[in-house]
Amino acid sequence: MKLGRRAFLQFAAGAVGGTLLTPIPWQLMDDSAIWSQNWFWRPSPERGEITKVATTCMFCEGGCGIQARLVDKKRAILLEGNPTHPVNAGGICPLGAAGLQFLYAPYRVSQPMKQTKKRGDVTGLQFIDWNEALATLSSKLAQLKSEGKAKTLACVTGQRRSSMDDLWQQFFAAYGSPNFFRMPAPTDSLELAATVTLGQQAPFAFALESASYVLSFGANLLEGWGAPGRMQTAYGLWRRENNGKAATKVVQVDSRCSMTASKADQWVAIAPGTGAALALGIAHIMVKENLCDTDFLKNHVFGFDDWTDSQGKNRKGFKNLVLTEYAPDEVAKRTGLEASKIRDLAKEFAGSGNAVVVWGEGSGNLPGNIYNELSFMALNALKGNLKSGGTVSLVPSVPFEPLPELQLDAAAKRALDEQRLDRQQPQRFPLPGNDFYAFLDAASNGAPYPINVLMVHEANPLYSLPENKLFEAALEKVGFLVSFSSYMDDTAQQADLILPNHMALERYDDAIGLPGVPYAYYAVASPILKPGPGTKHSGDVVLALGKSVGGNVGTALPWSDYKAYLQKRVEGLAASNKGAVADRAGMELWKLQPGDLVQANYKDGADLWKKLAGGQCWYDAPASAMQDVQTTSGKFELALSLIESKGLANAADLVYLPHFVQLSLSGDEKEYPLLLVSFPTMNLANEYLPNPPFMTKTVWDFVLKGNELFVELNPQTAQSLGMSQGSRALLKTPQGEFPVRVHLYPGARAGVVYIVEGLGHKAYDQYIQGKGVNANSIIEVQLDPLTGLGTVWATRAQLRRA
Amino acid sequence: MKEENKSASGKGVMGGIIFFAGFILALIVGWVVFPNLLYSQKVQPMNFSHVAHQDSSCEDCHTFRADGTYTGVPKMEKCKECHESPMGNTEDERKLVEDYIQKDQEIPWRTYSWQPDNVYFSHAPHKAKGVECAQCHRDVAKEKSLPAYKENRLTGYSKETMKMDVCEKCHAERGVNNECELCHK
Repeated sequence: MKLGRRAFLQFAAGAVGGTLLTPIPWQLMDDSAIWSQNWFWRPSPERGEITKVATTCMFCEGGCGIQARLVDKKRAILLEGNPTHPVNAGGICPLGAAGLQFLYAPYRVSQPMKQTKKRGDVTGLQFIDWNEALATLSSKLAQLKSEGKAKTLACVTGQRRSSMDDLWQQFFAAYGSPNFFRMPAPTDSLELAATVTLGQQAPFAFALESASYVLSFGANLLEGWGAPGRMQTAYGLWRRENNGKAATKVVQVDSRCSMTASKADQWVAIAPGTGAALALGIAHIMVKENLCDTDFLKNHVFGFDDWTDSQGKNRKGFKNLVLTEYAPDEVAKRTGLEASKIRDLAKEFAGSGNAVVVWGEGSGNLPGNIYNELSFMALNALKGNLKSGGTVSLVPSVPFEPLPELQLDAAAKRALDEQRLDRQQPQRFPLPGNDFYAFLDAASNGAPYPINVLMVHEANPLYSLPENKLFEAALEKVGFLVSFSSYMDDTAQQADLILPNHMALERYDDAIGLPGVPYAYYAVASPILKPGPGTKHSGDVVLALGKSVGGNVGTALPWSDYKAYLQKRVEGLAASNKGAVADRAGMELWKLQPGDLVQANYKDGADLWKKLAGGQCWYDAPASAMQDVQTTSGKFELALSLIESKGLANAADLVYLPHFVQLSLSGDEKEYPLLLVSFPTMNLANEYLPNPPFMTKTVWDFVLKGNELFVELNPQTAQSLGMSQGSRALLKTPQGEFPVRVHLYPGARAGVVYIVEGLGHKAYDQYIQGKGVNANSIIEVQLDPLTGLGTVWATRAQLRRA
Repeated sequence: MKEENKSASGKGVMGGIIFFAGFILALIVGWVVFPNLLYSQKVQPMNFSHVAHQDSSCEDCHTFRADGTYTGVPKMEKCKECHESPMGNTEDERKLVEDYIQKDQEIPWRTYSWQPDNVYFSHAPHKAKGVECAQCHRDVAKEKSLPAYKENRLTGYSKETMKMDVCEKCHAERGVNNECELCHK
């Protein structure tokens, strides 16, 4: 038999017919569909028992209650707001919601590292074990101490409202170095403002939930101002219909139509940096038309009328100043507003029952100019807001027991303080605070003494410090840089030694008080998962360093580990028998008034610890701002009598009073005809933490496209520069030149270029590295002449077509 | 002529045979060879005898959690309750104690009825409606050793994984909702 072509076709036809009656085609078709659902890059959630663990969020200082969803108690799959927590009532910000991406980030540092090549060469960073890492640092510290160079050890931390801050302070005091700093924050100037006006070292707090009228001078209320979770809740309350309660009116004074401005009832578009002038203009109307709380002014305020200093010299009071210098027409010229608008604002503010002034100009990351703070605060004083039960008070302290006493007498402590590097500068500031910029300046000069070891804890100053070049310059002179970062961030890349901290969700931590919140608050963060073997709690590292340096440093830090230290603190708090644990859903702590009795609902220290470690928080009633005034006059001081003793006895009257002052900018106005202002948004993290990929996904393509950043420009300004939407341009400031693209935004003020914060990282992963430009490397920081704090209001800029 | 006819009809018969041979061969390949090719047979990490555990009820190990979710194959913690140290002297129990319990490692069981991620399935309502386990799963009452796990080479799923048509048929017969989003949420 010969099988020819015909036979082959017959066979094939039979085979095809047969195949159709088998599962082959149908099964393969079905399976191919299923196969296509299982490509390897498709994320597949782990299955198992789902549990929830509650804790406190440590991604910022906001103290939100969060809960993590875990699979089989070993894989975290979701972070969400804790619905029973009084601060955020179930709400969560984008950073919190995306926070698990930090836990599983490829840029985490899993083990200590040391630099084996030149500083900054990432390939030179090699893993070492903890024994070697700790020995390297402790031998350096022991050597410096034995050589009498203890003060050449410095530290900057980004975790200020935490027991870590106290632990660092204890370590530095015992070790003998005054050079402990915090990353600059608005709290710095709020605290100084309270110190000079009330004699109390605590930042101001604002009862926003009960306010009926909120006048905000540039405070980014919805973009991270104060405690973000609390602000979300407060905003909800303002916008909730409530029988018998008038709707809260929010007025945003800002040069740019920010998210807050767009959600406010009224946006007052003002020239950048002139908010204080407007505040004093409002004060002018209030004084002139007798719209102030005269009873409060008479009994509780010093310096409203003309006053006499200790040398018997007559000095101008606040009333006199605002009446002569801040008439609406005058203020209109400075602010770019109409005089009638200023009058209307003043009458509306003065006529509202529970009106409050809040502020936070500029990026909101930095302290403000002290005179601006005082001008805004003056409005609250004129309105009598500082009265007990009023809308302004001070953030109350938490009644811990003091830490073990150091074997240093007061004189020795003072001597240490005076030797602090920032206070050794030729330019002395009358009211020095957390003057990190002055420190950097001295460190980069290496005078009067060099910094041999700089430790950076929970901070990324090389990226997030405005005018970050200053940190870079100081770093060149720093002998040895130690990073405690959990991530390979911009600063960690430059480190000589990295001692990775447990990631924020893997460690015990705490939150002491909430920024801008009147009630007393304390919360503990407990790990949602066991940390990996290669990281170590920075608190435990400090304790270990204390032990190895020994002597009085060891005795000053007697705790076995950081958890024990926290437990001891909580024990002390319980011993005070003050406050209570918020253990029910729906508690409205903002309704607490000064003097309200809060009944303790915990048995003892162990019980309180158990409740706090389980994600609940401790609270107590607010304290009235006027209950413990420590000024010489015993009153709130509109005229700062305190500074008379700070080397300013012969200064002009104006120096003592809140007044409008705009620090002059560097650069020639002809060369740089525009102003550059940076702004934060809720979906770009701009401090220690980088933007996680989930958040970067929400950034619009007119903010960032590929690697190109867009600056906002008013359409008219763009037209005059010959630019249109998407134009490529070069943005030049006295700090340098950067390529950008242009986004036309009618909410941008003419003549001002707006740049978003949170982009332009040089570290981390492909989703954030090299994307856009870091606003901090373009903007200019100006030192406040009274406090030495670094402030930013604008930078001169030039924009030309690329 | 005749020869031609004969030859033509011979060719036709021959053609039919060839066609039929192809047809039969395809059926054999499709029904016998293909299923064996499509599924690889994998053995479980160790044997488990359901018969040997008849002193406990099914619900002792296959439990529902407080939130209504089903635990499925029990975790090692469960085995540990009785087998912290060996109760008998079988090889499999030695393996359980020494390789898993003592090393604190989960047994990497292969689950016969593993639904894809895009399917939302809850045992709880099925149990509540009186659907017996054995209606969907194999009856293990008399099972001494675990059957081989047949894994689809293409999809990676077990052969036992219930397909959508089976779900739908049962739902239709009982007059239960058959909307897409009931299972594909």
